[in-house]
Amino acid sequence: MISLHGVSLRLGGGNRAAAVQFSLSRFEVAEGEAVALTGPSGCGKSTLLNLIAGLRRADEGRVEVDGVDLASLSSERLDRFRGGHCGMVHQTFHLLGPFTAVENVAVGLRFGARRRRGNRARAEEVLDRVGLGDRLGARPHELSVGERQRVAIARALAGDAPLLLADEPTGSLDPETGREVFALLRRVAQEDGRTFLMVTHDLALAAELPRTFDCSGLVRSSGDVQEPAGATS
Amino acid sequence: MSLLAMALRYLRFRWLVTLLTVAGVALGAALVCAVLTLRHESERALSRDAGLFDLVAGGKGSPLQLVLSSVYHLDAPTGNVPYSEYERIRRDRRVRWAAPFGLGDNYEGFRIVGTERHFFELPDRAGEPFFHFERGRAFEDRFEVVLGSRVAAATGLDVGSTFFGTHGLVNVPGGEVHRDFPYTVTGVLESTGTAQDRAIFGTLASVWEIHETEDRLHSAIQGTALLGGQKEREATSVLMRLETPGLRLLMADEIRERSDGIAAVPINEILRFQRGVIGPVQRSLLAIAAAVVAVACLTVLTTLHQAGERRRRDVAILRNLGAVRLEVAALVFIEGVLLTGTGILLGLLLGHGGLALGSATVREATGLVLDPWHVTRPELLAVLAMALCGSLASLLPAITSYRRTPIADLQLTD
Repeated sequence: MISLHGVSLRLGGGNRAAAVQFSLSRFEVAEGEAVALTGPSGCGKSTLLNLIAGLRRADEGRVEVDGVDLASLSSERLDRFRGGHCGMVHQTFHLLGPFTAVENVAVGLRFGARRRRGNRARAEEVLDRVGLGDRLGARPHELSVGERQRVAIARALAGDAPLLLADEPTGSLDPETGREVFALLRRVAQEDGRTFLMVTHDLALAAELPRTFDCSGLVRSSGDVQEPAGATS
Repeated sequence: MSLLAMALRYLRFRWLVTLLTVAGVALGAALVCAVLTLRHESERALSRDAGLFDLVAGGKGSPLQLVLSSVYHLDAPTGNVPYSEYERIRRDRRVRWAAPFGLGDNYEGFRIVGTERHFFELPDRAGEPFFHFERGRAFEDRFEVVLGSRVAAATGLDVGSTFFGTHGLVNVPGGEVHRDFPYTVTGVLESTGTAQDRAIFGTLASVWEIHETEDRLHSAIQGTALLGGQKEREATSVLMRLETPGLRLLMADEIRERSDGIAAVPINEILRFQRGVIGPVQRSLLAIAAAVVAVACLTVLTTLHQAGERRRRDVAILRNLGAVRLEVAALVFIEGVLLTGTGILLGLLLGHGGLALGSATVREATGLVLDPWHVTRPELLAVLAMALCGSLASLLPAITSYRRTPIADLQLTD
């Protein structure tokens, strides 16, 4: 499902002095697998997730998702590919302020699944599945943080993307809500047979997934060359 | 949800900024539309009045004043011409139609114009009668009068009504009322959309009779003798339609040479007046309006730019969801077009609506009948230019959104 080989990427913009290098020799995830990406802050967990989502392009190496080499796609095709293949959940929810919960999900369907009809009905169905069937017309500022994250999860699920990517999905939530959200993510990924990758600092949550990938050492300053850990359990 | 619906939602979300921006554009557009329409309509109305007559002869003075007093019933007359001059003009075979005007009195500010019965046979440019009676008939005897449509509407006078004229051309408190000479209304004219709607037409003989009586009275009081019968009858002016407009200047020269008075071509005087006096004022107003539009377009640009800065995160989210560059750029562009389009449409309504409200006042003050809802070609071009400016102002933030990469902006928090 996911395959990265010999990937390197210079980070830090145009400032060479501040530039750091992301390097990853090999990373593979099978279809339907659930993987926790762990490691200290700045180690490259989110960068890895963004490479898989096509939000960043590798300078070197090969990133394949669902058999497609992302480097071969134009900017437009990459955006469409991401919309169709990746459902993403972020730490800060990334909901659109002017739109209601159901509209946020429907907008995701419009651009992701490229569906013209039935988006609202599908959005209502998915929101009902994540327990927000009675909060369809609420705007983000009217929802609790836990509810906001559920809307974001519903949006990631609505288009039936085979890949569910979550970047610190519990990072903004209190422990109890965080566990509920994690349980929800894991349950829906399992039920739908989606491939699930989750960046997290919470080792206890990571331990609940069948596989953990330690991202420590993926990002190094120039000249500091060493093989990344990439340990699995 | 369509891009249009999304753009509308974003505009509604920032309703105050949206309202202020639309108001700015609308104000500029309203000014442009009002000035252009006013210019066109005033030119059209002035030309329509001036075009009724080929030539006006009157006493020595300003040709413009002669035209304003005789054709528009506005200014004071220049002086008198001998009635014999009118008779000579009427006998001229090159003159298709001529009528004398004698001024001196008013009723509630509406001028009482002494003329002759054939005044109502004035032909329009197609050769058909220009005047039509809404009710009643033309005057036949002294002290019978016909009302212009505006006079009838404003005074409530109708066929059979009687009234007294007041000395002078304007209504002033305490004016001398000619109580010995009651007028009787015999007819009301249909509206012509010209200054003639604001006049009361009676016989020239009535005007002479009132003022000769007054003169005799004044002479008796002052102890001087009036040589009745020896004084030559006069008219304030003579209005003419010629067999062909090409004779205007030639005949004007002839009248000037053989009499003490002047002759003016109304359309020439009005065009000179428009170009010399009204034109610069209108051009200044137009320049101000253009500046307002330019500021409004800059406001749209600033608003969209600031909105774009605030919306960097939203644009990144949409890209993250699968929207392509062109779609997010189109969303921003549609927002700009909606802002400017709504502003321009509102401006059109405001501009023309304002004119519609003001046209009654203009009509009462000058007799000019404006069509406030008439959209002129220059106005259409101005609207297109404004729409183009608005589109350009919307394009810049759209291009900025197109060129952004989502990854950096996704780090921004709510």
